[in-house]
Amino acid sequence: MLKIENLHVRVAGKEILKGLSLSANAGEVHAIMGPNGAGKSTLGNVLAGREGYEVTQGSVVYNGKNLLELEPEQRAAEGVFLAFQYPVEIPGVNNTYFLRAALNAQRKVRGEAELDSMQFLKRVREKLAVLHLKDELLHRAVNEGFSGGEKKRNEIFQMALLEPRLAILDETDSGLDIDAMKLVADGVNAMRSPDRAFLVVTHYQRLLDYIVPDFVHVLADGRIVESGDASLARKLEEHGYAWVAERFVPGQISAGAA
Amino acid sequence: MNAVLSGNVLLDEFGSGDARARDESWRYSKPALRALAQQEFIAADTQATLSAELRERYEWAHTQGHRAVFVNGAFSTVHSDLSEIGKAIAIRHEQPNLCVLTISADLAAPLHLVYLSIPSPAPSRWQASIEVHLYAGKAHLIEQHLGEAGADVLGALTSTTQVSAHAELQLTTLCDLPDSVSLYRRIQATVENGATLRTTHALLGGRLQRHDLNIELAGMQARYESRGVFVLRGRQHVDTHLDVRHIARDTNCDIVWRGVADQRARGVFHGAITVAEGADGADAKLSNKNLLLSALAEIDTQPVLEIYADEVKAAHGATVGQLDERALFYMRSRGIPVDEARRLLVAAFCDVALDRVPQAVLREHISTLLAPRLAGTGA
Repeated sequence: MLKIENLHVRVAGKEILKGLSLSANAGEVHAIMGPNGAGKSTLGNVLAGREGYEVTQGSVVYNGKNLLELEPEQRAAEGVFLAFQYPVEIPGVNNTYFLRAALNAQRKVRGEAELDSMQFLKRVREKLAVLHLKDELLHRAVNEGFSGGEKKRNEIFQMALLEPRLAILDETDSGLDIDAMKLVADGVNAMRSPDRAFLVVTHYQRLLDYIVPDFVHVLADGRIVESGDASLARKLEEHGYAWVAERFVPGQISAGAA
Repeated sequence: MNAVLSGNVLLDEFGSGDARARDESWRYSKPALRALAQQEFIAADTQATLSAELRERYEWAHTQGHRAVFVNGAFSTVHSDLSEIGKAIAIRHEQPNLCVLTISADLAAPLHLVYLSIPSPAPSRWQASIEVHLYAGKAHLIEQHLGEAGADVLGALTSTTQVSAHAELQLTTLCDLPDSVSLYRRIQATVENGATLRTTHALLGGRLQRHDLNIELAGMQARYESRGVFVLRGRQHVDTHLDVRHIARDTNCDIVWRGVADQRARGVFHGAITVAEGADGADAKLSNKNLLLSALAEIDTQPVLEIYADEVKAAHGATVGQLDERALFYMRSRGIPVDEARRLLVAAFCDVALDRVPQAVLREHISTLLAPRLAGTGA
């Protein structure tokens, strides 16, 4: 589904991703862990199409398409979803209106019938219940005045509603207490399916106790330096990222990537 | 009557000619003014024919029977329909182009005043005045300015408005002008004991629009609520000047204006609040936010607070900024196309200033007017 090869990305003139390669198939959950500043959020933003991220080398192929050529809204319609690390408040734009506009815009691109407000609300109610979100959040402006936990749950709620094929969760666990984290994990687990892939970007292993990944990758200094199964996350928790840094021989990896 | 007058002479009559052009209050509009001052204007034709398209734009079902139409400043018996205004309101036409409205009780429906700027073969001018006396009750006046494209038209409408004790007046002004029409509009209002004046302005188009709102909170607990939005593009130029004076004790003003400028448009907002000596207990709030959709657009905002009383609450804030790129990306990442995302963000930005429009049908009308202008061209 997703094949990233030798991706180099500059942000404000500084190279952040330095030859990142990663493949994910439908049905898989990939966790991407790494120390601060490794480029985790950059990866999510590049995949979603944020401006200001300059790809200098490499490729990203998603379902046979060159993802990097698509506008952010086209990527969304193709099924790419980014749960933001810092969800944006949009005063004055009603949450329900926003979600319906988003869903119907995607459906239109895919040649599917738009949902009327009854059909839409039915779907919304189903998904809200899973995340224990209050109805009242729908009447407010997008993320405005939401608590940190509400914002993160709202991201997962949007994901549930939009039913993407590739979901990227950018540190969705940061700032969440254990109960909120469980709700988020339940929301994600409920969506695991053979035709959907997840990239779960996280700093801590804790979230991965609840969302058990098929693969764990360590991102350090702009590349994947180590990959393994779920047990790798626990090793990292035990030894810290310094342990990876010691094992990582920079010359070899850049030579391999170049 | 049909003497040719220079723009300079006309602007001087409005208090805006050369002498006043040096005045600070016009500092951001001087080039636009100068161009007008150098033109010559014949008297506009008050019997001009109206196109069906133009009539359609103001012949609203919900104001039928409550509509006064002014063609180039002159009241038109042919086009007005005042068949249902009732006894609470009296309309007299005194002198050429002076209309006197007296309202003595609640108005069941809004009174719709339509001012049309219709071009002549050569640049033309019109001038009109209106006096509004609200003696008691609640009234809503809708003032709509429209025009036809063609040779330049320079219109001027000045009014004096009196809101008597405990009365409530809502004035909703909609200006949707072609780029050949310039409008000078001055409101001089006095708000007496316990009375409320609410104004909402939606200002679109025009070569130069200047709105002077001089409001005197003359009686105790007099209240003024001001809402306004301008949305401009091309080389449109709108200059708004609010001058609110708290004269009596415990008076209150609440001003919320939003401005949006695209392409090479120019917007000016000047909001002056003066709290006179002895006007203790005054509460004054002013918020003005502006959005530039293009690098060539310009908006100048100038809030001014002058306080001569002791116990006063006053807050003001003014900003000029660009569309929030983070919000734009967030919406696009959810699948909303970039133009629609922009439109939603700008609409939300403007909506804050349209919350006081009392009728849903009118709010809807304003939204429809604004909608096509909100996406921005980024040019």
